Amino acid sequence: MTDGERLPRPLSPGTKRPGEDGGPAKPEIKRPEGGNELLKRMKKVDPDQAKKYRQRSGQ
Amino acid sequence: MRRILAGVETEYGLLVEGHGAEDQIENAMALVRVYPGECLSVWDYRHESPRADLRGFQLEHLAVDPIDAKFEDGRSYGKAEDIRSDRILPNGARFYNDHGHPEYSTPECWSLRELALHDAYGETVALEAARAFAHSSGKEVKVYKNNTDFHGASYGTHESYLVPRSLGFEALYRAVAPLLVARQILTGAGKVGSEAGDWCDYQLSQRADFFMEPVNAETLYRRPVFNTRDEAHADPAQWIRLHVISGDANMMPACTARKAGLVKLALLLALDGEPPVWNLRSTVQAFQRISRDPDYRFEVELEGRSWTTAYEILESYLSAAEQTVELDEELTALIHECRALMASLAANDLGPLRKSVDWAAKRGILQSFMEEEGGSWKDASMRAFDLEYHNADPEEGLYHALEQMGEIPVYASAEEIGDRACGNEEGTRAWARAIAVTKFRSHVRNACWRTITFEIDGRLIEIELRPDMIYGRHLSEANDVGTFVRMLRGEV
Repeated sequence: MTDGERLPRPLSPGTKRPGEDGGPAKPEIKRPEGGNELLKRMKKVDPDQAKKYRQRSGQ
Repeated sequence: MRRILAGVETEYGLLVEGHGAEDQIENAMALVRVYPGECLSVWDYRHESPRADLRGFQLEHLAVDPIDAKFEDGRSYGKAEDIRSDRILPNGARFYNDHGHPEYSTPECWSLRELALHDAYGETVALEAARAFAHSSGKEVKVYKNNTDFHGASYGTHESYLVPRSLGFEALYRAVAPLLVARQILTGAGKVGSEAGDWCDYQLSQRADFFMEPVNAETLYRRPVFNTRDEAHADPAQWIRLHVISGDANMMPACTARKAGLVKLALLLALDGEPPVWNLRSTVQAFQRISRDPDYRFEVELEGRSWTTAYEILESYLSAAEQTVELDEELTALIHECRALMASLAANDLGPLRKSVDWAAKRGILQSFMEEEGGSWKDASMRAFDLEYHNADPEEGLYHALEQMGEIPVYASAEEIGDRACGNEEGTRAWARAIAVTKFRSHVRNACWRTITFEIDGRLIEIELRPDMIYGRHLSEANDVGTFVRMLRGEV
């Protein structure tokens, strides 16, 4: 839920990327595109979804 | 060290566009039947005994939820085996309709990790069947890996543990019941609100509201914390299958492994060590009180006007296991993990728990949403979010979004989970079942957890799959069914 912290921030001009000077590079981590996926999904949820959800008793 | 064979069976919630609970049995039957993967429909029901009680008697009938009875309305669904629509999958798992819920029962597993991976693979099976049913019916279909409909109907996620019959009911109950009450603090799936008694904003357990008795053999109504169904799924003269019904369906595989690992610790103590002795004043009230405690003190009333806490109960199992039984690396790691999580919880630091425990992860996203968007626990949307946390579709579910965003550590890659379609290479008896239904399916007349019956040259040959044996990789090298049968008998 910390959308801002997840946004990629542009490098300032002249800044070396990690690994370019022989130091360790951060591993590539694949993130969903388009910001906070969780929040996007929550906003799509029908607020009455659970009200309409009726099940038979199972075990 | 001693190994305990275990499995997890999960009944999925089923939502079909435009349909209600009254249509659920037909829908679950249809969903299971259109499962697009390879399967064999020859389940053998002869060894099932849901009314047998571990305490040595047989129930005349199982109690039924009176609300469910109203759904029937004179409907008839056909023969019992047609209603169940059992499928045996190529990994030795069972997929069928259980009281209107698609149920995936994992193959039997030795290790906690393998069990958690197979349980996670069950989501793939349920989802593939749901997508096929959506295609065939033209309706939107969703499956949920949870245990409640928020209106008073619950459906189960059961665990099975095979232990020697010599252990007996009394020793099992004394060793396991206190643990079942306490483990929810590290394994609960979390629930918004309550479905019995007073309102609470949020509780740890999806199932707590539904327990009415400390111990009995019921599963559909008047559910107990400790279930005494005596259906061994093996030779009943030698084995008891402990049937645990008080746990929640976990989205986090790590939670599934922890849930089963804690019970295994209690069982190892009962078998080989010295289990702690706890005399709870009320098993049911203790379970429900822990589930609803907003302060995380988790106090438990004992007989004799004294008190303890869920923390102390769990720690007593961890330390007793360290001191009195032989532990493998997996169980040793489990003990360290549980201690670390309990320390964070006791300090009200939920950060580590949000990455490792379903109830804390779910609570975290709901609280954050309320802080950023407004609202309260009583809003209908909070229960909708609760439900969608358990949506098995990785493209829709809120749990899956958390994992994809890196908020929850990835327990296993999708490829590793998908590999469970091919069987359990640990060599449990599920491996033999898997080979039988894939390689020699034309000869398999019926099969269940305990046996496989082959037809060879017009003769029926029943093979008992002993649960304590290792079924080696070499079984897959059998080129004909006769050799395979001889291998299973140990003649080759």
